[in-house]
Amino acid sequence: MSIQIKHAIKRYGAQAVVDDISLDIQDGELFVLLGASGSGKSTLLRMIAGLTPTDGGTVILHGRDVTALTPQKRGTGFVFQNYALFPHMTVAQNIAFGLEVQRLPRRERDARVSELLTLIEMADLGNRLPSQLSGGQQQRVAVARALAANPAVLLLDEPFGALDVKIRGQLRHSLREIQRKLKVTTILVTHDQEEAFELADRIGVIDHGRLLEVGTPDQLYHAPQHRFTAGFLGAAAMLPAHRNGTAVHLGARSLPASADTSHLANQPVEIMVRPESVTVALSPEQVEGHRLGAGLVEGITFAGAFERLTLRLESGEVINALLTTAQARTLALRGGDCVWVGVRDYHILSAGV
Amino acid sequence: MNERASNGLVGWLLISLVLGYAGILLLAPLVMMILGAFKDGLQPILDDLTTPDALSALGLSIRLALLAALTNGVLGFLAAWVLARHNFTGKRIFNALVDMPFVISPVIIGYVMIVLFGRVGWLKDFPIKLAFSVEAMFVVTVFVSLPFVIRELQPVLATLMPEHEEAAYTLGASRWMTFRRVIFPSLRHALTVGVMLTLARALGEFGAAAVIGGAVEGSTETATIFINRALLDRNPSAAYAMSLLLGVIAIILLIAMNRIRHAGGRHVHPN
Repeated sequence: MSIQIKHAIKRYGAQAVVDDISLDIQDGELFVLLGASGSGKSTLLRMIAGLTPTDGGTVILHGRDVTALTPQKRGTGFVFQNYALFPHMTVAQNIAFGLEVQRLPRRERDARVSELLTLIEMADLGNRLPSQLSGGQQQRVAVARALAANPAVLLLDEPFGALDVKIRGQLRHSLREIQRKLKVTTILVTHDQEEAFELADRIGVIDHGRLLEVGTPDQLYHAPQHRFTAGFLGAAAMLPAHRNGTAVHLGARSLPASADTSHLANQPVEIMVRPESVTVALSPEQVEGHRLGAGLVEGITFAGAFERLTLRLESGEVINALLTTAQARTLALRGGDCVWVGVRDYHILSAGV
Repeated sequence: MNERASNGLVGWLLISLVLGYAGILLLAPLVMMILGAFKDGLQPILDDLTTPDALSALGLSIRLALLAALTNGVLGFLAAWVLARHNFTGKRIFNALVDMPFVISPVIIGYVMIVLFGRVGWLKDFPIKLAFSVEAMFVVTVFVSLPFVIRELQPVLATLMPEHEEAAYTLGASRWMTFRRVIFPSLRHALTVGVMLTLARALGEFGAAAVIGGAVEGSTETATIFINRALLDRNPSAAYAMSLLLGVIAIILLIAMNRIRHAGGRHVHPN
């Protein structure tokens, strides 16, 4: 186990910004801490690096309790959102800084620096000053600097936040490649769920200082345990329902309930429906998946490859559906039309969490 | 090129006004000084500057200015650091008091020093003789040039990003190494400019030094006091010669400061 966090707590005044978080991260894993701004995710990252002192709990890196150690003694590589490159040092000097601190002999240091410059594909830019680099290049230098001294873990705080969308995609890809190649255990903090999906082996969802749940991107997207996760990871309609024996009941309709939700029996539950699982037809017989009933088309929005329908069900609930351009053409819907609505796929979770 | 409104009538009036006052107040005296000094060629200037009194005055001025620049370089750095990094009661008052030497007449400072340390002063038994002595002149010179280093450093200290230091810490650098390798290089230019301003101000000091030093020829007479005495003694050529020398030093400092300020802007982080 590379990183173990046990009951970590950080308070500012009466408010706990990190509220009793425990987390285990495997060797070589790329773990993404996902949450809104102010959720406490960056604070937790800084606590691991020793930049923010803890008010309680333990941080263990590779089996060593580092809770009482200074950042200097922890051996974490940290990449800041603004990169924090030393402005008066060249790219090569920035990368060499950590090696110099370790008093690595000059020749080894130079060799390591050129190795890293090659890794980030900036072999011929070692003599540039940070101010002469693009944002994306600065970010890569910051990653190289953090990796130079072979850190125990790599910690990245919103490393793509300051970049425009196009470059972000490229850099995510190259970060993932570097991380796989070096097999360095990594925690990345972001508020961008798309980034989390693309990069993460596992995601931890954090809200108001609490770690709500941990899982693979697929698990969290399709079968979240918390309402917050369901909404944060993508658009979802949450339909209130009741589960008994083998079914969930929404008003007069009922849908089969899978056995792994039996612990929710006789409890108020919610049915999470993602827009891409919603089907629409002009007659009840044509409905694909489980029928939800009739719906009124309240809005149609063009969304590039899709059209987004806003539908109001008989029960009064609002639900979104995504139609491909071909489907949209066949159905030729307009606002105020009445349609039949079905779901291909849905997920049952406890209400009130 | 950013688009700017072309100079209308008001624009031209403002430009003439600015250039006019710069010409009258900044350039004219400079030209007068040079013309006056070179009236009879270079030789009289050299003669005037190599009299024992002139050499002694010049030596004292340079010694005082260098010592004051060194003292204010170190103490000013500490003061600016403490003001930027620490909180203590009276911080705001201290910060406001730093500008005192700018607003108070140096003559008053000299007078206050005499009242405090003079033969009948409150602190007349102070172990170091701080009235009518070179030591006293050093103290007032430090006082009048105190704000420069602090005021140059403060804005730069305020813009330092804490992440730079944190990055150095995570890379294993101690606090001292972080200061030496990461923080200080960012402050070097501002510190140098501050020290140069201190030097220039100290070289030009007259009032406080004259009052507290007693203006004794060959002993507590600085270059500026020498100019004053030369004028009173109707020896304008000596006054011109010394003025020219101080003026040249000032202009060299001015050019150097501008170059450093320009160079300092080069690696400013785009963030």
